[in-house]
Amino acid sequence: MSGLLELEGLRRTFGALTALDDLSFEVPAGQVIGFLGPNGAGKTTTMRAIFGLTDLDAGTVQWNGRPVGHAERRRFGYMPEERGLYPGMLVGDQVEYLGRLHGLSAADAATATDAWLERLDIADRRDSKVEALSHGNQQRVQLMAALVHAPELLVLDEPLSGLDPSGIDAIGHVLVDQAQAGCCVIFSSHQLDQVEDLCERVVIIDHGHLVVSGTVDELATSGTRRLVVRVEGDRTAGWARHLPGVTVSEVNAGAVRLALESSVDSDDVLHAAMRAGRITQFSFERRRLSEVFREALA
Amino acid sequence: MKFLFIALAVAAVIFVRVRIFRGRRRRRASEGPMQDSASEAEAVTSPVSPPRQARARSWHLLEGSLGEVGMVATREISERVRSRIFRIGTLVILVAVAAAIIIPTLHSSGGPTIQTVGVVGRQSPATEQIVKTAGTTEQDSVKIVQEPSLSAAKSGLRSGAVDFVLVDGSQVLLDKPASNSSPADPALVHDVADYLGVLKAYQAAGLTPAQGTQIDRAKPVPVVSLQPSSKGTTKTTSVFGVVLLFLMLTQYNTWILIGVMQEKASRVVEVLLATVRPIQLLGGKVLGIGLVAMGQATLIVGFALAIAAAVGSDLLHGTAPLVLACDLLWLVLGYAFYCWVYAAAGSTAERQDQVQTLALPLSIPILVGYIFSITVASSGNADLFFKVLAYLPPTAPFCMPVLVGLGQVTWWEFVASVLITMAGTVGMAAFAARIYSRAVLRTGGRVRVRELLSRTVH
Repeated sequence: MSGLLELEGLRRTFGALTALDDLSFEVPAGQVIGFLGPNGAGKTTTMRAIFGLTDLDAGTVQWNGRPVGHAERRRFGYMPEERGLYPGMLVGDQVEYLGRLHGLSAADAATATDAWLERLDIADRRDSKVEALSHGNQQRVQLMAALVHAPELLVLDEPLSGLDPSGIDAIGHVLVDQAQAGCCVIFSSHQLDQVEDLCERVVIIDHGHLVVSGTVDELATSGTRRLVVRVEGDRTAGWARHLPGVTVSEVNAGAVRLALESSVDSDDVLHAAMRAGRITQFSFERRRLSEVFREALA
Repeated sequence: MKFLFIALAVAAVIFVRVRIFRGRRRRRASEGPMQDSASEAEAVTSPVSPPRQARARSWHLLEGSLGEVGMVATREISERVRSRIFRIGTLVILVAVAAAIIIPTLHSSGGPTIQTVGVVGRQSPATEQIVKTAGTTEQDSVKIVQEPSLSAAKSGLRSGAVDFVLVDGSQVLLDKPASNSSPADPALVHDVADYLGVLKAYQAAGLTPAQGTQIDRAKPVPVVSLQPSSKGTTKTTSVFGVVLLFLMLTQYNTWILIGVMQEKASRVVEVLLATVRPIQLLGGKVLGIGLVAMGQATLIVGFALAIAAAVGSDLLHGTAPLVLACDLLWLVLGYAFYCWVYAAAGSTAERQDQVQTLALPLSIPILVGYIFSITVASSGNADLFFKVLAYLPPTAPFCMPVLVGLGQVTWWEFVASVLITMAGTVGMAAFAARIYSRAVLRTGGRVRVRELLSRTVH
């Protein structure tokens, strides 16, 4: 299973509000993509556009180089932001029904439903009504509805919201497994620590246009380099304050956090520190995704 | 016979109630105790699932032949028929229909069918003949008993040995005033008193018995009309059909309205429309509920016909079977026309109170058709305005069957009305599908139709 989703020049306005503004990015197979942005950035509109649930003023959504149509969408899986299930329908019947709508035979839908019920540890709830389940289990059923037909593309809008740590782990493992099996996986979330743990790539948008895109490693190590240095007996970081291209961003209990401009050679910083005293720590610091996010939107 | 049917109907109701109760108890037993935790308010269900084969059987032929539309329709049928409200509602309707048919027959012929008539004094052969003729007319089996004296006759009345007494062919004597609860059949008493009065009048006029017989055998002169004669009106059946149409169209269309609103409110429509087209989802819902409606309507009409035949109701006299067949046809046509309107309306709402606001204006054309049809079916007089209503798609489902019952419509007029309604249905379906596909994904308040029809849709 391999595929490539390409969003090209998406534009969508609601009256005076521009929800999508020439938005373009790709979702390759085999990776979990984190789709980030502040509230109202256009994430949900983008996801709905993939499934034809909102009209576009301009732009194209393509799957493997061809426009996405009804036949392609039957091979996609979707978990909307506002959960959508029949409250009074039995869990097993509901998942089977949605599997059938995606083209599975009755027998295959039943088999896949049972397998996912086991995998997500809610096999004993097969004959319960959805409305009788807890929030976490409803979330699991919603995920099953998106997965039951073994989709080639998985689009999940806030799949981790409201879940306890075990629920986040369970769904997170499923997403990673799906990507490793060759599925394209993109999900939105405001829980940046979880996104950093699960995703290989992130796409950050704001006001409907792309702000940052890249692998988590690239983003964590790009931009201003950060250095943490401890010099025995030094509490003021006076040795670093006169270094050109170096900014002391924080001094905390002897740990000096420095921001280095691109022209600065870190060896010069090391020598300056050695002259100040015995070095007990000298390490580069990776940026957390939350920092990347805040900087991108600043 | 009719009492046997009443007993059977009561037994059927009790049987179904017991089945429902036992089924519920079994389910509770298999589900086990409910958890009390507020945070995890989940019922523990049986770990044993039904066999997969049994579940596979639930996917019907519809799916194979109609694809996604069939799947959506199958789900609608399965969920509706499985719901307790539907089952109990159907049962209540059947009981109401049985009561509506049986009670009038009890009222119209509530007296005893075997009447013992005491005779005091001298009776002419004509008197005896009069009593027997009246008995035949009122479907009573009459037995005539000669009483030795008036006092013996009175004691016979009090003891119930005789139901009423003829005294010298000039008086009818009863124990208590004739009514549905009295031993004497009031209709028979009335007929006998009338006939004896006529006999006395003949005698007072000096007519011979032969002359009296000649007068009795008088036949009315023919009444000829310029218009061809009707096949006979069936007022009861027409009224029954109109009421049934009104109840069913209102009920089934409300299902559509609420069903569409609930899919939108629960947001499941977004999951569904990510894989099926709006017209497929809408078509499946309309088809599924329509098939449930036709099944229920056929059951009710079949049940009504069986009961009517058993108790001898006049529901089946004259053109009644034709009227009932028309009612079923127009139920299909009426549902086909209105279901789209209600589906489109449901897609603009996402709360119960919004549905209630929508339901009233939507029901106005149905109410107009219903009120005019009931009035005309009762009076038997269809004016030009009513005939015009019989050709308009919103009111034709009610008015046209009434005209058929009155015999005031030709076959080509009937076909013309059917074709006009079908054309209206096609137009309404196209319009409703447009509204539905634009409104059903718009959340955050009631959607105005004017916004949906504007060129720029958001």
